[in-house]
Amino acid sequence: MITAIRAELFKLRTTRMYYGLLGIAAGLTLLVEIVLSGRSGTTSLLPSLATAAGQRALATNTGFALLTAAVLGTIMSSGEFRHKTITDTYLDQPDRARVMLAKIVAALAGGALLGAVAAAIATMAGRMAVSMKGDTVALSGGDYTRYAAGTVLAAALLAATGCVAGSLIRSQIGAVIAVFIWSLAIEQILAGLSRSIARFLPLMGAATMAGANSRAAMPPLPDGIQPLSFATMAGILLTVLAVLAAGTAHTLNRDIT
Amino acid sequence: MPAIEVRGLTKRFGDITAVDDLSFTVGAGTVTGFLGPNGAGKTTTLRMLLGLIRPDAGTAFISGRPYRAVRDQVGASLEAVGFHPGRTARAHLRTRAMARGLDEAGIDAVLAMVDLAGDANRRTGVFSLGMKQRLGLAAALLGDPEVLILDEPANGLDPEGVKWLRGLLRGLAGQGRTIFVSSHILTEVTQTADHIVIVNRGRLIANARLADLIRGEETLEDLFLNLTRKDAAK
Repeated sequence: MITAIRAELFKLRTTRMYYGLLGIAAGLTLLVEIVLSGRSGTTSLLPSLATAAGQRALATNTGFALLTAAVLGTIMSSGEFRHKTITDTYLDQPDRARVMLAKIVAALAGGALLGAVAAAIATMAGRMAVSMKGDTVALSGGDYTRYAAGTVLAAALLAATGCVAGSLIRSQIGAVIAVFIWSLAIEQILAGLSRSIARFLPLMGAATMAGANSRAAMPPLPDGIQPLSFATMAGILLTVLAVLAAGTAHTLNRDIT
Repeated sequence: MPAIEVRGLTKRFGDITAVDDLSFTVGAGTVTGFLGPNGAGKTTTLRMLLGLIRPDAGTAFISGRPYRAVRDQVGASLEAVGFHPGRTARAHLRTRAMARGLDEAGIDAVLAMVDLAGDANRRTGVFSLGMKQRLGLAAALLGDPEVLILDEPANGLDPEGVKWLRGLLRGLAGQGRTIFVSSHILTEVTQTADHIVIVNRGRLIANARLADLIRGEETLEDLFLNLTRKDAAK
């Protein structure tokens, strides 16, 4: 199992895709951080940076990175079919369940690092913005740590979920589009129909895990959504496991023609 | 014990029977050409042998066991285009060696064997089809396998490359390895193989030593065309 995990991590390290997605996640987080800090206090959605709520909005602005983590996982597995490398992967490791598990572990690691980069940028840029406006930091070190840990965990889980989703859909473009449609359209529709299920949806649940709690977040969250609860984490984990089970069964039986 | 043993192998894709109750053996230490027209079921057979496709019936064993049990003794090259374009040749081989739990020290040796030592740090996205074939062969040779299974390894090679491949296969055969190679280039097969398996429409139509199959003025091409035409007329 260790050799399979090492190989998957090495695959991740030796393509430009991973570094590109890291750059996209970091760049988007920083860009949104600049926009949010400039507009804070000007609308009801964005409280002033002098308040804890305003500072929290900046510290938890990691939604684009979370979405990028889901895309990362999707590309990690669907890319094997796009580039036809899946044949060699299964020749090298005929135990397909082991390959799937190794990919999930690599996705967890890759997603966690991506989440850590985004959390670091959101924390540092957020505090810098507060400092530049001459406001007092209203959040504690524990708050920042909790948001960062939530972002890392959420990004890791989303990457793993994307990895399994990518094994279900052979077309890489189709798989990535499916991630976007699910995250940005279907989740919004479902949350609009029932606010109570929002935190159990993969991207929204992940965003609350990272500490986001407002309509100004990415993705926009229903007002009053409960942040980082055990139920949210369990909901996301169960979603991951359900998709994982379906994906693994599908992968085990697939002919590689 | 034969190096490769296929018994009653059958595979259907919907209404199409790609491989139909196919049985043959490949002797240890031989170079066996696996021939057949397009769509004859060669690639499907090789993929069932290597555990990539699940047969509907029958068995396909290497050294008496399924591929997954003898993976360390087998090298295979099936996809001449199966490379991540952003990964270098060396990184590709490191990935393959890692996944098989092999010592990475052998990478330079196999790169030299396929004449790609100078291209080791180039991304495979810029490789020609012939270079990709060579890289696929290098990956198959990792771990010094006793049995080599190659699907159309001469595809994309220029005449010089074909000559090089002939020399490589002869050299490997001379070391006592079993080589099972599918090919469309019949003149090449004549010069490298000592045993022939011919399939058509998923069924076996010939399985014998090359010297026993070809008599008099007949060439392998004549024999192949006669056999496949006769089978198609049935």
